[in-house]
Amino acid sequence: MKPDIMNMRNIGISAHIDSGKTTLTERILFYCKKIHKMHEVKGKDGVGATMDSMELERERGITISSASTNVDWFDHSINIIDTPGHVDFTIEVERALRVLDGAILVLCSVGGVQSQTITVDRQLRRYNVPVLAFVNKLDRVGANPIKVKNQLAESLNHNAVLMQLPIGLEDSLRGLVDLVRMKALYFDGPDGERIRVEDIPAEMFDEARARREEMLDAVSMFSDELMEAVLENRVTEDLIKAAVRRGTIDRKLIPVFMGSAYKNKGIQPLLDAVVDYLPNPAEVENVAHDIEEVGKEVKLAADPGAPCVALAFKLEDSVYGQLTYIRIYQGSVRKGTELYNTRTSKSFRVGRLIRMHADKMDDIDEASCGDIVVLFGIECASGDTFTDPGLNLTMTSIYVPEPVISLALTPADSKSSNSMAKALNRFTKEDPTFRSFVDPESKETIIKGMGELHLDVYIERMRREYKAAVQTGKPQVAYRETIGEPADFDYTHKKQTGGAGQFGKVVGRIEPLAGGNFEFVNSIKGGKIPREFIPSCEKGFRHALEKGPLIGFPITGIKVTLVDGQSHDVDSSDIAFQAAAREAFKQAYHRAKPFVLEPIMKVSVEGPAEFLGSVFGSLNQRRGVIVSSVEDGQFARVDAEVPLSEMFGYSTVLRTLTQGKAEFTMEFLKYGRAPAHVAEALKAEYEDKKKN
Amino acid sequence: MVKTWLVKRSPLRILENALQGGLGKGNLAVLASRKGIGKTACLVHIALDRLFQDRPIIHVSYASRVDYIITWYEDIFKEIMKNRDAKAAAEIHDDLIRNRVIMNFKQDAARTDRVLQSIEAMITAGKFAADTIIVDGYDFGAGTPEDLRKFREFGLKLGLELWFSASLRGEAPVLDEKGFPLVLRPFLDEISVLITMDSRNDLVRLSLIKNKDAPAPGELPLKLDPRTLLIAE
Repeated sequence: MKPDIMNMRNIGISAHIDSGKTTLTERILFYCKKIHKMHEVKGKDGVGATMDSMELERERGITISSASTNVDWFDHSINIIDTPGHVDFTIEVERALRVLDGAILVLCSVGGVQSQTITVDRQLRRYNVPVLAFVNKLDRVGANPIKVKNQLAESLNHNAVLMQLPIGLEDSLRGLVDLVRMKALYFDGPDGERIRVEDIPAEMFDEARARREEMLDAVSMFSDELMEAVLENRVTEDLIKAAVRRGTIDRKLIPVFMGSAYKNKGIQPLLDAVVDYLPNPAEVENVAHDIEEVGKEVKLAADPGAPCVALAFKLEDSVYGQLTYIRIYQGSVRKGTELYNTRTSKSFRVGRLIRMHADKMDDIDEASCGDIVVLFGIECASGDTFTDPGLNLTMTSIYVPEPVISLALTPADSKSSNSMAKALNRFTKEDPTFRSFVDPESKETIIKGMGELHLDVYIERMRREYKAAVQTGKPQVAYRETIGEPADFDYTHKKQTGGAGQFGKVVGRIEPLAGGNFEFVNSIKGGKIPREFIPSCEKGFRHALEKGPLIGFPITGIKVTLVDGQSHDVDSSDIAFQAAAREAFKQAYHRAKPFVLEPIMKVSVEGPAEFLGSVFGSLNQRRGVIVSSVEDGQFARVDAEVPLSEMFGYSTVLRTLTQGKAEFTMEFLKYGRAPAHVAEALKAEYEDKKKN
Repeated sequence: MVKTWLVKRSPLRILENALQGGLGKGNLAVLASRKGIGKTACLVHIALDRLFQDRPIIHVSYASRVDYIITWYEDIFKEIMKNRDAKAAAEIHDDLIRNRVIMNFKQDAARTDRVLQSIEAMITAGKFAADTIIVDGYDFGAGTPEDLRKFREFGLKLGLELWFSASLRGEAPVLDEKGFPLVLRPFLDEISVLITMDSRNDLVRLSLIKNKDAPAPGELPLKLDPRTLLIAE
């Protein structure tokens, strides 16, 4: 049956890696009757949680790919996009966030807000995703949901409001107090499936009343009606719910729920909250971009009858061929009808249309705006937009960071070579931050990505899923070159070797360009260089940027202005002006104080405060700049900016230094000038390589 | 070049002269005022003056979140660099980030010993050669003279200047007849330099109440400009 848009929810579950996200997802599937037996992530039964479909994920106990699954919670249809937890896979998280209308932010009641929570929170902010918080693991020793709620306010600056209180904690966790209904909830039965509603235990009543007051104070800011009702003492459940919903959808409030997924406590109320407080697809404004008119935004209508616009946000391989997960933003998709891929300008017919549950699927005939469904065997890349023929729109391109690390792959034999090619083709389609190409000089296959772990996982997948035996080279940092000062050029390219000659003269200057890769300005007056050769000049300059003379890495941050030139009626050509521009650039470059840039990572280390000295020392040794350290009792977090080239093997070092009690995350921050000794070493290495 | 000029022309030289050449290593200064007068702005201006001299500082904060503190530095820095060459400003900015570390503690969760241990770890293990420590948001009402003594002795041991802020709360009067803040009375033995700030006729005036062993001149020819939040003549 096709769900009504008002009853649809598209949600993600975002969290720190060990906060129990997969177990929570598993429980949600169970209570929504999608699975009949529950498993743990690292289960003894060897089955593993249903959402973790890849073998590798099972082994590492982490979720890498964001499979989407559909569940029904009473009369509501909820699509759950399982988002990965590790920061090296943020592109997957970001892509999932693009299609979500709301999210559950899972926090561990012991660990609370950790560096990865901060990363995830920043992503949720970037895409304006309304959020519910779920404080998990109340059964653990040291559980303190109030502390976690305070951290949400203090560390993340959220207007976090408790909606529940725990009845007992750690191993005496019995149930929850619902502060809206002012009732105690207990979860009976072997799987906590029977909810028993009772009066709040007498000894908790005062606390519950105080917390409810707190909640009403915060929530009534979003509803005049509720504020009046509070003053007149006639508050109703519906008034509170409406106000919480308003505040949450506007991202001005984060209602905090809690429980223990592992102990089957608190999951059903969380599902109610998803329905009550997170928006339906019609409540979220979505825009597409007009391909023919750059900069023009088109507001999409949540109308099933309107022309279709859908985004392919995830590809997966299956035994039946390629699965394409799409989110429909406008109109409907029907089996047998035609859709148009606006990137490739090709149309295709919709064969099978599927609603997905982790590893099982239901065939459907039609799906409409707001829904997330799967297409079969469509040739496309993730991030493509599908429309009804005649529309030429694209959904906002998802922000894709540039890869910062690369390494060379060598297949062991020709069979592996084929499998490797197949695997790379697949991975690069799935993940735009993962790239591969063949180096024209060394003829080696190079892969590029966002970090060591990012590349490791793909190499592992290549070995396991594609049985490709590959050897890997040393990871290589993506350096850049740039200039420090403006410099002029005046170059004439002249060649006379019998037959038609070559002639082109270019005059102008190059200068540093802040916040951009390359800008080309043509200020030639009076047609000194014929118009048809101006693009040739630009092409020549671009070509010169591909490989810098210092260390052979791309040149960035350059503005080129062409002010004068000369041409010859017969001898000037496209090739001649390209060559002139290339040589002119080289001429000016050496006088423009060029230098080497290296990627600088934002590194966060977290662990017990007793190891701060070792952490400071290890970061300092790695040329790190410590930006801040925050201590909260026993725990400390250190934020630093460290060159990527110094971060190889840091996880092992950190483990040794802190007896495995500290962990770190890193993400690309910026390019910074490499110090002289590093630049000199790279130059020497490059010179050596050129000689051999 | 720009930095030398900024340091030379800074109104903080007036304060330095009043202190006979500055606070001096191993000494502890307190800037006291009511909330919202501009203590943090003053401390950040003092810190930036050190950073312009390429002297590394550690900014210890008991109250604000790290990003708030960074915003303070950015705002005051922008104000100081107004109408100056953007390229020079960018270079100075890079230097000052390299020479500044922010350490955030919770006073109720981190005892003074623990705080000093962490600062020492930063200076020794982290090889961060700070000579000035800024301490903002320390609650003197909840602290003890013993704590402050530990800070002063720590400063003496490692050759550091320590600049504290003290928030004066409660009903008037907050100062005694000699102009000393009542809340700081038990701490006076540990404090070498005490400056109070008060707002009159829309101007925030700075007064030097205790000046090491020298006589204190009282009101200084310095004010805090409420518009730019910079210390000015």
